[in-house]
Amino acid sequence: MATVNITINDRKITTQAGITVLQAARQEGIDIPTLCEHPALSTVGACRICIVDIKGQRNLQTSCTFPVSDGLEIQTESPPVIRARKLVLDLLFSERNHFCPYCEMSGSCELQELGYRYGIDHWAFPTYTKGFPIDATNKYYLMEHNRCVLCQRCVRACDELVANHTLGLGQRGSETMVHADANISLGESTCISCGTCTQVCPTGALFYKRSSFMGRDSLTQRIKSTCGQCSIGCGMEIVTRGGNVLQIRGDWDAPVNHGLLCKMGRFEPLYDGRERVAEPLLRDNEKLEPVSWKKAFDVMVKQIGSAKANQTGVLASSYATNEALYLISKLFSDKLKVSNIGLLNGVAPQIFKKQQSTFAEITKSDIILVVSANPAKDQPVASFMIKHALDKGARLLIVDDKENELAPFAYMCMGTGDIDKAIEIAGRAANPIVLYGSEITKNSAKAIKKLEKQAQFIIIESGVNTRAAKAFGFNGGFSPAGIKLLYILQGEQNCDGKDLLKKVPADAFKIVQSSFLSELTAKADLVLPVAIWSERTGSLTNTEGCIQKLNSAVQPAGQAKSDWEVLRMLAEKIDKKIVFSPEAVLAGLKKLLK
Amino acid sequence: MAKVKIATDWLAGCAGCHMSLLDIDERIVKLSELVEFTSSPITDLKHPPKEGVTVGILEGAICNTHNIEVAKQMRERCDILIAVGDCATFGGVPAMRNLVGTDAALKRAYIDTESTVDGIIPDSDELGKPLDLVVGVDKVVKVDLFIPGCPPRADAFYYALTELLAGRTPVVLPPELFTYD
Repeated sequence: MATVNITINDRKITTQAGITVLQAARQEGIDIPTLCEHPALSTVGACRICIVDIKGQRNLQTSCTFPVSDGLEIQTESPPVIRARKLVLDLLFSERNHFCPYCEMSGSCELQELGYRYGIDHWAFPTYTKGFPIDATNKYYLMEHNRCVLCQRCVRACDELVANHTLGLGQRGSETMVHADANISLGESTCISCGTCTQVCPTGALFYKRSSFMGRDSLTQRIKSTCGQCSIGCGMEIVTRGGNVLQIRGDWDAPVNHGLLCKMGRFEPLYDGRERVAEPLLRDNEKLEPVSWKKAFDVMVKQIGSAKANQTGVLASSYATNEALYLISKLFSDKLKVSNIGLLNGVAPQIFKKQQSTFAEITKSDIILVVSANPAKDQPVASFMIKHALDKGARLLIVDDKENELAPFAYMCMGTGDIDKAIEIAGRAANPIVLYGSEITKNSAKAIKKLEKQAQFIIIESGVNTRAAKAFGFNGGFSPAGIKLLYILQGEQNCDGKDLLKKVPADAFKIVQSSFLSELTAKADLVLPVAIWSERTGSLTNTEGCIQKLNSAVQPAGQAKSDWEVLRMLAEKIDKKIVFSPEAVLAGLKKLLK
Repeated sequence: MAKVKIATDWLAGCAGCHMSLLDIDERIVKLSELVEFTSSPITDLKHPPKEGVTVGILEGAICNTHNIEVAKQMRERCDILIAVGDCATFGGVPAMRNLVGTDAALKRAYIDTESTVDGIIPDSDELGKPLDLVVGVDKVVKVDLFIPGCPPRADAFYYALTELLAGRTPVVLPPELFTYD
């Protein structure tokens, strides 16, 4: 690594060549204030707050864009620098309405922090009194143009991170505005409501509707957990105050998503209107009546104990944690010798012999072949990565008989009948990658195998924790015929059970472990409340095989328990010899995933 | 030593800053050994004395011609003028009017209000004329020290006054006392 010698504030520093003055200063713990700069985004030098005095340069230079070179002498807080920063702040404050007491983000605002730091105690210039519009057409977030400082973080996030290219700048000079598409409202635009722009906005220009005025940052707690809405397993931060969830934010340090989330992960769980199951419910004279956990366990032990192995069926949702799936396999398969165990969603076949690739590889490929998967709808963060690769010059081939939301971005879209043509094109590429889902046809699977040698591949499982379920032997081979006892771990999954229950004998005893009341719980004989995403603990395995922890941010509603806790207690009551420890689950799972 | 004279007055404000000044609590007893509060909206004497005071404190924004008169009088009669609160420093809540315009704001307040029947906009020579733009005090008179905050912390008042008594002029308040809300 080439190094250069520079001096910052009279301190001699040896640093690597190719980085910026700002990065070099940060590595040394020297604080240079920034506003438009964001570690996850490219630098544009739009706000001029990070200006520094570099000896020999005609003007003050923006440290976020100025590369280090040998012999640079830099002053970061000299009087001319401070004077200039105050001028920049005076100008920023004079444009639009930056009056803090009106603003939801007061107390969590980077512009306000800078105002405090540099003692901006009045407006140096007449303020701009023109009112700018507020765009409230998006369901989940607000764009308050009066608070915008045109730092373009949102524009860059939309371009560089999500690759959706909805946001841009329009007009010129003091009329410059952030706008969506060709200056239409956010609600009508191509915005996919991933909310990444709200997460990077330094001021109160973009903020969540739901958590507005419910508490500034210093009053809230942030708990890191893993999103359980699809099989990507994005790292998230659950923002809570007083036991209430206010927001979900992407975790910038997360290994899979690096801060990104989608609408499904960031917003939809907060708007879930389904009614919770708050306590165990037992059918008594055709009606479900609340009972204690003790009674519920007594009934379960009796029912499970009296059913024969070949008359018992278990169905799990892939929302289940690794721990719950492990316990099902220990209790039902190993101990009770039940073989009729299935998943509520399909499982993708293993086509290639080699280890599957990671999402990080998508951006390095030149041809992306998506077969019978619709990531833009089902695993949106994966579609961000695909679109990011397309921006870098990769081409997308889609083989799918259904409508695919990535189709507008594709180089070619084909039906599954044309799989050989797609394979032929992908085969000519230097670095192709194949992504396929659980609905892949046998014919396609056979054809894809031809790419084994040269292509990387990623299986995009349809359920959240399907990868772990597959590893624990849940293969989807469930049959409802002749069942006397059915245990369904439904969790948060939407499942009306219509098709299923029709085939299950009417006299079968049905135990449903569910977070929400549903048509399935209405027909159950025993309903057990399950903690939801914000309440549960345990771990999940994403479709790459990456095991990540779940942390509880708020107390479970009513008497709900994490899915695995109930199964652990049940297992203990049935057989004391079934030992359970989270470490053993993870160790066992790691072995199975290899 | 003669006591240092302080006068306060308010413009387009809510009196909250004066309440915050009173929130320095028992310290006001100690302070009054050194200073004399000659006049304020919350004392019998309302106007700063003609012979002048050392420190003048103004709360509230400049919103009409009457506010300008009061601000100018205070400026003439004091040596050091302090603008306190977000209204006096930035325009504050009254400046929200700027976003819709004075005419629309008056119409909304006196005529369009749901509970108003046959409303009229007050118009008398005895009343100040509303300005087109609500601004901070510094836009009409020279201000020597700004203490922003809505209201400023009581400690911010106490800090500023004790610094001045000690013969030092605080330029910007320390970070823990410097807030906009």
